[in-house]
Amino acid sequence: MMEDFREVARVLNNRFVQKWKDEGKKVVGYTCSYVPDEIFYAAGILPYRVRGFGAGAMTIGDTYFGPFICSLPKCMLQLAGQGDFDFLDGAIITPGCDSMRRLDECWRKMHDDTKEHMPGFFFHFGVPHKYTEYSVKWFVDETRRLIRAAESHFNVAIKNEKLLEAIKVHNVTRELMNRFDEIRTRKDPPVAGADSLAIVLAGTAMPRDDYNRLLGDLVEEIGKSAKKLNGRKRLMLLGSANDDVDLVKIIEGERALVVADNLCFGSRFYSDLVSEEGDPVEELAKRSLAHNDCPRMYGEYRERLKKIKEKVATAGVDGVILQNIRFCDLHGSENGLFERDLEKEGIPCMRLEREYGPIVESGRMRMRIDAFLERLG
Amino acid sequence: MIVAGCDVGSLTSKAVIMRDGRILNSALIKSKAKPWESADEVMKSALEGAGVSMKEIVFCVGTGYGRDKMKFINEAVTEIACHGKGARWLLPTAMMVIDIGGQDCKAMRLDRDGRVVKFMTNDKCASGTGRFLEVMARVLGVSLEELGEMSARAQAPITLASACTVWAQADVIAHLNNRVPIEDIAAGVNNAMASRMAVLANSVGVERDVCMTGGVAKNDGVVSTLEKLLGVRIKRIRRYDPQMAGAIGAALFAHEKAGGGLR
Repeated sequence: MMEDFREVARVLNNRFVQKWKDEGKKVVGYTCSYVPDEIFYAAGILPYRVRGFGAGAMTIGDTYFGPFICSLPKCMLQLAGQGDFDFLDGAIITPGCDSMRRLDECWRKMHDDTKEHMPGFFFHFGVPHKYTEYSVKWFVDETRRLIRAAESHFNVAIKNEKLLEAIKVHNVTRELMNRFDEIRTRKDPPVAGADSLAIVLAGTAMPRDDYNRLLGDLVEEIGKSAKKLNGRKRLMLLGSANDDVDLVKIIEGERALVVADNLCFGSRFYSDLVSEEGDPVEELAKRSLAHNDCPRMYGEYRERLKKIKEKVATAGVDGVILQNIRFCDLHGSENGLFERDLEKEGIPCMRLEREYGPIVESGRMRMRIDAFLERLG
Repeated sequence: MIVAGCDVGSLTSKAVIMRDGRILNSALIKSKAKPWESADEVMKSALEGAGVSMKEIVFCVGTGYGRDKMKFINEAVTEIACHGKGARWLLPTAMMVIDIGGQDCKAMRLDRDGRVVKFMTNDKCASGTGRFLEVMARVLGVSLEELGEMSARAQAPITLASACTVWAQADVIAHLNNRVPIEDIAAGVNNAMASRMAVLANSVGVERDVCMTGGVAKNDGVVSTLEKLLGVRIKRIRRYDPQMAGAIGAALFAHEKAGGGLR
């Protein structure tokens, strides 16, 4: 079962997606955790989180984005331009950050030039940067606009009953992931951070019913596991999006364990349930927007800091690694604040700037992490 | 008790043999493509000079990029910790260490016990490293030592437009073709190097006393400019060659780990 998760974490067009497509069903990709994927579950469409994993050369990405920008959307465009996302029937781009917003323009321009690799359904989904009464109202309208567009393009009806059912299924995932989180943060956890990431990644790239079944079995199994990964330094990983299991493996090495995170492909995937009472579209919009884990949301820094300090305490974290992709304005800036405020509380921090994409600096990265572990004693 | 420290870097490899906390001998060679070969050779040289055999070494610590590839070491420690340790031995009042190595540079702050509490390394490119100076010295047709001394004789140092080693090299060639005095170009090169390092040092937070290690610590042009940029005096190291700081730190760790107590 863990092998299933590891495989899905490494293969974009994985066998679950292939089976889904072979059954004649649709797949819609999205780029940000602020997209309520329940909408597509309710439509019988597989929501699939678009990643940049596996991009090698950056010939297409650099052509459209230029050199001085985050490499994550560049890798996504590279893969799209190579045809690696041709299995997608739709794609939703959100202004998670400005670099990601540009993916919308660059993907369209690439299609203008090549006439290839553009999903039939291509939607720019606006997400406000503040959680207020009026922004929630705007976001509810935007969510309904997305629903109408999907209904019209895919010729489906996304009814409230179906949405409610989808919310319940996704809440099951969140509850299972919270149980998994409890296991992962135990004193002597049976699972390493690299596998924890693979488990989360799998949830973004396979049918939710299959995922819940596998996840339920896994939580049951490792909850009783006698395996103990002890004697290692316990780290928390914060910062830019990371969907590369190997990066976590490099960080963990033989001497550390990533027991907690606050990452886009991490705990943000399952934090906060959606209310099963009330209008489902409004509840989905509220959950997404109230989701303050990402620094894209204005005025939420203090809350995020509080949440991280609580997690450091409950997970028994020895040190925090604040990593960011080069040119990531949001996390690059916020990591500086986190470092200042966490160090003030006696929580050791290390900042790590990196490129998204193939890990080519593993020796240098390893040296810096080893030095940090030496500092932790 | 005899211990050893071996530091295999990207440009040079260093080894220090220590008896009861005192340096018996040290050696420095140009690194080879295979780090274990560099380690073997530099250790052999250091041992021969000290009149000591490998069997007499009670404990050996390896550091540098080749630290995990050395066959004869008892333990590997990062160059961050070793440079911190070595710098404190070289300058007991050091609270901040600036190390410019062949292909990387580091700035670190130490606590009262000499432990590294904060550090940063260059993580963008090779500019601001020893390799940068090496390339520029070759273009100018001078030795690294001469390059360092030339700053003092400069009248109007040039400004290098780019931090990129390759583009800076093109700038230097253009200045040579325009018959700009070589001292002014050399001073511009040293200033560019110091500016890159100052950014790193300021990011960590400058704290007195500042100690500089690595081969570039011997370049007075870079050190003087860095002093101006940081607004602090950088203490010159007299106790031993600052380029050996990593290997000295490794040997000191070996001494501690072998039960010789703190040094």
